[in-house]
Amino acid sequence: MAKKITVLVGTKKGMYILRGDMNRQKFEIDGPRWAPAPIHHATYDPRDGSMYAAVNQTWGGSRIEHSRDMGKTWTTSSNPKFPEGSDRTFSQTWHIEPGHQTTPNVIWAGTEPAALFKSEDRGESWSIVQSLDDQPTRAKWVPGFGGMGLHSIAIDAKDPKRMSVGISVGGVYTTTDGGMTWTQDNKKTGGDSERPDVFYCIHKLLAHPEESGLRFMRVHEEVYWRDPSETTWRHSTAGLPSNFGFAAAMHPRDRRTAYVIPLDSMTRAAMPFGIGVYRTQDKGKSWVKLEKGLPQGAPLETLREGMHNDRLDPMGLYFGTANGDVWASRDEGESWARIAQYLPYVTSVHAATIE
Amino acid sequence: MLLHGVFRGFAGGVREVTLDASNLREAIDGLASAHPSLAERLRDERGKLRPHMALFVNEDDARLLGWEDAPLKEGDIVHVIPALSGG
Repeated sequence: MAKKITVLVGTKKGMYILRGDMNRQKFEIDGPRWAPAPIHHATYDPRDGSMYAAVNQTWGGSRIEHSRDMGKTWTTSSNPKFPEGSDRTFSQTWHIEPGHQTTPNVIWAGTEPAALFKSEDRGESWSIVQSLDDQPTRAKWVPGFGGMGLHSIAIDAKDPKRMSVGISVGGVYTTTDGGMTWTQDNKKTGGDSERPDVFYCIHKLLAHPEESGLRFMRVHEEVYWRDPSETTWRHSTAGLPSNFGFAAAMHPRDRRTAYVIPLDSMTRAAMPFGIGVYRTQDKGKSWVKLEKGLPQGAPLETLREGMHNDRLDPMGLYFGTANGDVWASRDEGESWARIAQYLPYVTSVHAATIE
Repeated sequence: MLLHGVFRGFAGGVREVTLDASNLREAIDGLASAHPSLAERLRDERGKLRPHMALFVNEDDARLLGWEDAPLKEGDIVHVIPALSGG
């Protein structure tokens, strides 16, 4: 069956849905929805076609919305709630992740304050994962510049009980028993820093969708690769123009390829080196800038959820910028075209591959 | 009670609700009971009223009347308003 791409674009003022044609060349823009609410993240669940959006509105508090009809209509979920006795209350949602293929009703959400919530009814309601919240090391978690959130939920390709979460600033925690117990997972090889804290400032952690145990991680400083046989994070930044950035993506089939968008650590923009998507095809040993079609030298900015790939062959790659552009590549990053402009500040991009 | 702005949307488009209440707390709780979709939009999981919301009793800001303890009498209009967020 033919597949189409729909790109869910979260912005600082509402969500836009970009519905692509068969060739991924033209995209019809639908939106904004929920403006002026900021949308931290929106995602598509390929298991049942549901969509989810983190609507972090000031009025009425933050909430999660879900759609069962490809974004035509939306329903408000029951909020994630911190249990009685907790010293915290739900502030906002940073990331929503569909569960493993073998757990069709399970959806995960990462929130601020940093916590992991699980839904077992396709996002209708949420319960905190108490075992993670009970970690004694939670006392050491501190906010990053954007707050203290759990933003990465990396579910293993084969083992539904194995997953890792990334927290800013709290590091990586991994479970191998479906979330009953967790271990800190922050041993690394290389990437020495004068600062003792930056390795715990996770910016994006990804699990390969086909290869069990394969991980890629964008940290405050540096990027790291982990093969299935490894138990440490291996420093993989050679060839990047800076060691800072947020956005990251993994190739859905090629086990050696990943993408990042480097930024300057002080300005938080791609300056002076200019916007570009950097690709490794050797597990991070080397990186090459891909910028054909992009505005040469432009000091653009892309956030944590700002880049995502589709599942077609050749793979499509998409990223959004602070100045309201969405850029797309139909050839795995080799060349780029702008598919939307003049949107509000783009906070998230999710490419849904729809049968 | 008269709903304004986004709160009207949270209640499925309802503009006004008539109910019996002797103070603002009872009125808010009655509103949430009448329209459950409003409950989490009005209070957080500890029962605290969300901060970016204004409540008026007729022409008066409820903050100056005792907030949730503000007394109500028959015929009062309680306005539930998204707090001003412009310049």
